[in-house]
Amino acid sequence: MARLYKKAKYEPNEAVEFEASGPALEISRAQVVDPREEREALTFMQTDSSSYDAEGNVRLFGVTEEGISVFCRVEGFKPYFFVHIPPTWGDCGKLRVALQNVLQKSAPRFSGGSANLVLEIEEVERRSILYYVPGDPAHKFMKITLAEPRLMREAGGVFERGAIEGLAPTTTFEVTLDYTLRFMCDTGLVGCSWVEIPAGKYSVNRFNKTTSSQVEVSAHYRSLIAHKPEGNWLLSAPIRRLSFDIECSGRKGIFPEPEHDSVIQIANYVTTYGRKEHVAKVIFTLKSCAPISGATILSFDSEADLLSEWSNFFRQCDAEVITGYNIVNFDLPYLMNRAEILGVKAFPFLGKMLNSKTTMRSSQLSSSAFGTHESKDFSMDGRVIMDMLQIITRDYKLRSYSLNSVSAEFLSEQKEDVHYSIITDLQQCSDQTRRRLAKYCLKDAILPSRLMDKLLSLTNYIEMARVTGIPLSWLISRGHMIKVVSLLHRKAYEIDLLIPDLERGAAGGKSGGDGPQFEGATVIEPDRGYYTDPIATLDFASLYPSIIMANNLCYSTLIRKDDLGRLKKEDYATSPTGDHFVRSSVKKGVLSTILEGLLGARKTAKKDLAKEQDPFRKAVLDGRQLALKISANAVYGFTGATVGKLPCMEISSSVTGYGRDMIQATKAGVESKFPGSRVIYGDTDSVMVKFGDGLTLERSMELGREAANQISQLFPNPIRLEFEKCYYPYLLISKKRYAGLYWTKLDKHDKMDCKGVESVRRDNCRLVANVISDVLESLLIRRDREGAIKLVKDVISDLLQNKIDLSLLVVSKALTRAEGSYDAKQAHVTLAEKMKSRDPGNAPTLGDRVPYVITRGTKKQAAYDRAEDPLYALKHNLPLDTQYYLENMLRKPLERIFEPILKSRTSELFSGGHTQKVSVVTPTNGIAKFAKKQLTCLGCRTPLKPGTIGALCVHCKPREAEFYLKYLHECETLEDDFAALWTECQRCMGEVCQDVYCSNVDCPIFYRRTKTQLDLAEASKKLLRFVPEW
Amino acid sequence: MFEARLEESAVLKKILDSVRDLVQEANWDCNDDGIVMQSMDSSHISLVCFMVRASSFEVYQCERNVSLGVKIDSLAKVLKCAASDDSVTLKADENEPNTMDILFESKKNDRISDFQLKLMVIDQEMLGIPESDYTSTVEMSSAEFRRIMGDLSTMGDSVTIEINKGGASFSTKGDIGSGNICLQKSASVDKPKDGVKITMVEPVKSTFSLKFLNIFAKAAALSDTVVLSMSEEYPIRIEFAIDKDVGYVRYYLAPKIEGQES
Repeated sequence: MARLYKKAKYEPNEAVEFEASGPALEISRAQVVDPREEREALTFMQTDSSSYDAEGNVRLFGVTEEGISVFCRVEGFKPYFFVHIPPTWGDCGKLRVALQNVLQKSAPRFSGGSANLVLEIEEVERRSILYYVPGDPAHKFMKITLAEPRLMREAGGVFERGAIEGLAPTTTFEVTLDYTLRFMCDTGLVGCSWVEIPAGKYSVNRFNKTTSSQVEVSAHYRSLIAHKPEGNWLLSAPIRRLSFDIECSGRKGIFPEPEHDSVIQIANYVTTYGRKEHVAKVIFTLKSCAPISGATILSFDSEADLLSEWSNFFRQCDAEVITGYNIVNFDLPYLMNRAEILGVKAFPFLGKMLNSKTTMRSSQLSSSAFGTHESKDFSMDGRVIMDMLQIITRDYKLRSYSLNSVSAEFLSEQKEDVHYSIITDLQQCSDQTRRRLAKYCLKDAILPSRLMDKLLSLTNYIEMARVTGIPLSWLISRGHMIKVVSLLHRKAYEIDLLIPDLERGAAGGKSGGDGPQFEGATVIEPDRGYYTDPIATLDFASLYPSIIMANNLCYSTLIRKDDLGRLKKEDYATSPTGDHFVRSSVKKGVLSTILEGLLGARKTAKKDLAKEQDPFRKAVLDGRQLALKISANAVYGFTGATVGKLPCMEISSSVTGYGRDMIQATKAGVESKFPGSRVIYGDTDSVMVKFGDGLTLERSMELGREAANQISQLFPNPIRLEFEKCYYPYLLISKKRYAGLYWTKLDKHDKMDCKGVESVRRDNCRLVANVISDVLESLLIRRDREGAIKLVKDVISDLLQNKIDLSLLVVSKALTRAEGSYDAKQAHVTLAEKMKSRDPGNAPTLGDRVPYVITRGTKKQAAYDRAEDPLYALKHNLPLDTQYYLENMLRKPLERIFEPILKSRTSELFSGGHTQKVSVVTPTNGIAKFAKKQLTCLGCRTPLKPGTIGALCVHCKPREAEFYLKYLHECETLEDDFAALWTECQRCMGEVCQDVYCSNVDCPIFYRRTKTQLDLAEASKKLLRFVPEW
Repeated sequence: MFEARLEESAVLKKILDSVRDLVQEANWDCNDDGIVMQSMDSSHISLVCFMVRASSFEVYQCERNVSLGVKIDSLAKVLKCAASDDSVTLKADENEPNTMDILFESKKNDRISDFQLKLMVIDQEMLGIPESDYTSTVEMSSAEFRRIMGDLSTMGDSVTIEINKGGASFSTKGDIGSGNICLQKSASVDKPKDGVKITMVEPVKSTFSLKFLNIFAKAAALSDTVVLSMSEEYPIRIEFAIDKDVGYVRYYLAPKIEGQES
């Protein structure tokens, strides 16, 4: 049943409901007028350039300024690489014949036997990027052009193995460079840049289109004009984004499996990048669903129809960017598997290439910066999958990555969480319950899109693609390394340097592979304490990049030890680690040039940013300067990555070496030039200076500026020491741990800055973070030591009396390894196993963050054994081990903070009178099942004699009114709390007449609601005891 | 003023030793009958209670009922300062029990030590296992009980106690094998406490955690004999009567149910 999606204008916010058999859904892009190829230039912003066909024709997908999607087949570009051949061997012709023969033999699959595999061999003069050789002579290289990209590795291998007779094995150059990147380098195209094809230089393919793009053209690669992302070319085309989420019916207690459980709903949210109003909200449901205002509902009776219609919709929608939450590892694989099981043949064609089937494979991305992540790769040409879960896990360190807590964190919004075990019930009930499900599903589709806007992910990623020159999709699928590879190749290409293909792991220098780690940055021993005088902070601006530039450190300036004798002393400098680099007067390093470009561009971007008024352009410029900064810093890491593409320990160890010397020189310089001053701490690229006792903030800032200027003179350009801020007051706890108020202006502090303090760490419970930040606030902002101490005591007292909100005591850790492969017993692992034995469907699986609380156990029972699911603990009223929380969680971090202030008197915090009152709850399992509660007097807690009437013992009876009022007040407070919490949940759910189903474990309200409910029941019971039975 | 004087501190020390592995802090309820403590262990698997009768004190004065929140470890620390034959006096203000005065006097009256211990406010429900008519009981030497529990725990972590016409049997199973110890009714004329007395209305068989039974067995120091009382699917009661009718220490432990975690 094919349905037409009419191409017409969509009116936003038009509340029209569609029946499955009703009018066709309108989901259009801008109106297309075929370009007049002879008279008009075609200009578009390319969004994907990462694929090419077998002949090496690159596929450019993009969008024009008007929002028309474009596909351009770029013809004529061919892959090539270089080898260094001894001049004695012979000429190009001879080499070509020889190579052709070897290739035909070794790789018959490439050709019908006679095809022309080697297109051209040309002799060129080039230099290798590695090492400066005295005199800097150029060498003769053979540039070998091949017919197809897939021949590259084979042909490169021929030379590496020495498979041509008479030729010894030799290093190849630029074989391993990705074909796409080669193409982009040579044409000057960067990721997400604007491309112009002049009139008459392209032909429009009007019939037999091969893609879903509205306009399809082909052009020769030399006709492309790549616009640098500057000025008007800085803007972005109106890219279309599709965000979606699926719901599956599940069986009780078992996580949905595509083999058994059907897809019941797919919610879609279509937007245009850069525009506020959305294009469409469309929900596909199995069985009927009551209308939702503002959304289109398409209902189906058969799941196969639903899937096939959705894939139609997906293609019609033709989005450039696909997003969602965990779509890469759940939604998309689930849909693909489900479609295969149901035999929906038309489903897996989700790319822009009409006839290319979307396939899925497992991949693992290991990156030093992002860690190891398992994920799925999809071949979906022309579409970039930006899973917000992946992006957020990469770019932000959070306590939990569930959509709930991420939206709470960034959008300050809690969301309703329907547990998957009740989804089936909602689905089977009525069209009203399905509507609830649909609303929930739609929210899950809208949130990722909103997160993307709020976090400017797309903006920042586009700018990163432009700055580093790689396709947008690579930013997600690959690590940091490829960015520097791209920058390096682009610069090297300009100045005719060639980059050798090094074997992975074989470093180009003395220490390679898993060689010894070189010394890192210096830390000046902290002089711990609580400083009430302003502490000035002097920072080196972009320390590592500026060291590389100042000392001309580069692959191309590194001198081999043997060549040293042939150079004049004044032509080179020796780094603190004993490596030698020629001075820039002799030869300027490529890395310096790249960094100069990046930092220069950053300066420009920042300047423009300051002037810019338009918020969209502002965001773009900010993203751009950030991308430039990150890329500049990535260069140093690239040279030090031992398993990288071109590691060079001489460079990276020299960089840190210079850095160490500079910190020490700064300390010495400041202390000698400013008598009475003291450097109290220093780390990597900054030093903290106390200029003297009793100085005002103003004077300290002045001195800071002066010191920065004077000390900068000690170092070569462009290294610059900057005065950035004063900390006032400043609490220096230990290495990498400090907190202070951050002042850049005189009238008001900017913020409270904490480093390495538990308030920002996430490996403990929220209570710790809250207490620490409250304490710091009291100490630093209000400067109230006694207040801080009182605050700690109050919290401890509340904790022991069970008055702390359970959600604050939840610790969560990710289950990163399979069962049994953890060496030591750990709480979250033990708990995961326990939960599995209780309910296998509900238990956390690999990669999940497991939340837990520590409950009381027997004496000497290990803490890991006492970890419990917070929800289970709450439901069974298990007593929490408050002592454990006090001793093992709160004590150390608090001691660290108070040590500089109270010196040795910290123990009073943990054992004063405030710890004498405790409260222990009675659980509902264990021996309690058999026990009978014995009534105690509500006044003095002594047991009441059986048969006593009322709530009090004879001794307390005279004070009955007083106690009654006390309990009444307690009960009323809880009632108010509960009512407030319940309404909060109803509001979040958007319904006030129905029950709250939500079981969002990341939402603090959820725990509080449940706990208040239990407390209230308990309190009402107590209150009732005052009322004699009638 | 609440005041209670015990002739020998040793009794109190032993009582504390028998509960301190299970309970960190608990309310001591003092009334006309004596001092009673009743509390679940911190993992809420078992229940422990003790009673010291008013009659066993040299001096016992309790005008109104009072509940004293005692941190067991802290009191034990204080009691370490007393010699076993010192007398001990406990005092507290009945209306506002914030502290407890503890007084030790040596036999010869030549040494008096006075301590003050901070009391806690413990907000906890009072639980008790309803007394029931147990269908079977075994009375045996407490040393023998301690030994059996110790022996079996070398093999497994739970013990099945079965009382039937043939006697009382204790069996366990573990990774390395299994074991069974069977006791028969016997009467020892010269040493009555070594005898085994079994009363049985109905046979009973239940399984319990050895970890807890071993902790309970430590109370053997208080009494020569122990009485195990059992009913089907009901917690076992293990009672150590303190010699000279001073009082008792009782433990209750729920049976393990097949396939359920403890």
